[in-house]
Amino acid sequence: MNDSLIELKQVNTWFPNDNPVFGKPRSWIKAVSDVSLDIIKGECLGLAGESGCGKSTLGRAILRLAPLSSGEIRFMGDDIGKLTGKRLKPYRAKMQMVFQDPKASLNPKMTIFKILSEALVLNSRILKADYLEEAVKLLDLVDLRPEHIYRYPHEFSGGQQQRICIARSLATDPEFIVFDEATSALDVSVQAQVINLMKALQDKLNLTYLFISHDLSIMEHVCTRVAIMYAGQVVEVQNSRSLFDSPRHPYTRALKKAVPIADPESRGELGILKGEVPKLSNPPPGCRFHPRCDYGQPICSKISPEINGITVNSWVRCHFHKKLWDQGELISK
Amino acid sequence: MINRAPDKNTPPDPLVKSTGEAAEKPVLQVCDLTLTFNTPRGRAHILEGVGFDLFSKEILALVGETGSGKSVTAKSLLNLIPGNTKEITGRVLFDNKDLLSLSDKELQAIRGGRISMVFQNPKSSINPIFTLGEQIFRLIRLYLPHEIENLKQKKGYSLKQAQEIIAKEKLNEVGLTDIKRMLRLYAGEVSGGMAQRYRIALSLLSSPEILIADEATSALDVTVQAHILKLMKDLCDKKKTAILFITHDLGIAAQICDRVAVMYAGRIVEIAATKKIFKNPLHPYTRGLLNAVPRMGKNVPLSFVPGIIPDLVNPPEGCRFHNRCDHAMDMCRKHKPAPKQVEGNHTVSCFLYQQ
Repeated sequence: MNDSLIELKQVNTWFPNDNPVFGKPRSWIKAVSDVSLDIIKGECLGLAGESGCGKSTLGRAILRLAPLSSGEIRFMGDDIGKLTGKRLKPYRAKMQMVFQDPKASLNPKMTIFKILSEALVLNSRILKADYLEEAVKLLDLVDLRPEHIYRYPHEFSGGQQQRICIARSLATDPEFIVFDEATSALDVSVQAQVINLMKALQDKLNLTYLFISHDLSIMEHVCTRVAIMYAGQVVEVQNSRSLFDSPRHPYTRALKKAVPIADPESRGELGILKGEVPKLSNPPPGCRFHPRCDYGQPICSKISPEINGITVNSWVRCHFHKKLWDQGELISK
Repeated sequence: MINRAPDKNTPPDPLVKSTGEAAEKPVLQVCDLTLTFNTPRGRAHILEGVGFDLFSKEILALVGETGSGKSVTAKSLLNLIPGNTKEITGRVLFDNKDLLSLSDKELQAIRGGRISMVFQNPKSSINPIFTLGEQIFRLIRLYLPHEIENLKQKKGYSLKQAQEIIAKEKLNEVGLTDIKRMLRLYAGEVSGGMAQRYRIALSLLSSPEILIADEATSALDVTVQAHILKLMKDLCDKKKTAILFITHDLGIAAQICDRVAVMYAGRIVEIAATKKIFKNPLHPYTRGLLNAVPRMGKNVPLSFVPGIIPDLVNPPEGCRFHNRCDHAMDMCRKHKPAPKQVEGNHTVSCFLYQQ
């Protein structure tokens, strides 16, 4: 597997549910459990799911911003899961993150130049004397003009602020960027601009993206492959085309049916998923989706399904995906 | 500008509808609504000549970008805009009364009763220090005293039991289960989807004639959203409630709404039946907006409207869209385009269609 930039092996991120003064916590919130996933160099992997399914935590865990309870994270072959402090620092520069709310992630008291040069300090390639020149270059990359450099964040619109955040994330010459709901707070027309910019930058700078979003309709435009998360587990990974054309996991299918499509001609009943998202402190045994699944069988509540490969780099976590697929139930229903 | 929803019971010919006396009366008529208020930088012209009709049994979508005035329109219908520098002109006709000229006391009888609202963040519109039960009981006592009396006299229930039975029935309608437990909880203890369903149940207690849903599903997951959209659609079909659905999600507009009104910088630029506006958008802004929507199954590069929405303290002269428009003419920079009915129920404010 030389083409993967990041390899995750059975990653678990648990947070203590109670905080006793002495001894260990008695219960845990299992935000991410047993996730194994490869992120291939040069791809944009989408990570979708309902709120509270652990998608942001997984993104942060990859960057070592969330604690890693067990498992292995490899970045370009190096195990970074156990590194701390100084030894982790060189990797931090290679992996960046862009957040949902651009206004909250830019310091209102700093000019754009100061914001960008703060990040440029981490880049050993660039001398201090060249910061101004580099900062202008970064702004140019994200289609902002050089005269913007001495302005403050509040002087920009939401879309421009998000572009500044992207420029800052590029300051350290990263290989890998996590976009955590980076376009969710933007209007459709602004969102389209940011997405087109992201795609252009990916081609130009040969970047690898992890695009976290709850918006499925945008995934197909941005991502090459999409992973669907449910209750802390990745339940299905497929390349984005086939995921939307032929979803294998019953949850993916339910999710897809619930998205309102912006076309009145294809108006149909929106799919309704029964039940509520399970509590992560006490997820259901076996397959975590079984209480809400239309195809649930006795085995689903007892044994957690293994990863079943479909083709290279795509798999699904369901006991019956093959049977359902052969019977055509997942397509017709 | 009379716009009518396509109605299954009346003949589908739009020309018959717009001219004949058969045209039914709208439940809410908004004419030339204009709103200005003071900001530290000067007077902001928030709304300018907003006008639309809302018919019973229809869902009208009000779509537009952030800051285009969607929520402000909804709030000014019920005079909910705070501040003493505001100035609202125009007319909002409901039941032969102009809501803008009513006193606070008269309005209070309509707010939440005959016209009710659901807001974006359910938890901030539920009182956190009372249980969900206490709040719904209070509204039941206010709006459904007859039902309580009925239950008390016919079946001999106590007031508490009667309230609980009604609450159970009403909350079941919005798809909530395990209500006995839920009534003892506080707003912070339920999920966003549950809170929003509860909120909707509250706003329906008074059997309103008009429901204003202001981004009611925007904070929710798609799976929960699907449930609430279905609920609203059923409500509209069965109880004949007229719904004004404010959203920035064109997908929702396409899926459940009968008509769509597109807002830009405080004006309604286009209003038409959903199918028509998606198939044949006329205003350049509507076209730009529709092209920017990512669609499943159609993987084409996204286009966008260049530029940003104008500053409302100092809005552009003439048509407010002209500085972002590809088709801008001299006329657009000087004059304001009036709404023009191009077809039976398709109105657009643009000089391209003014012949």
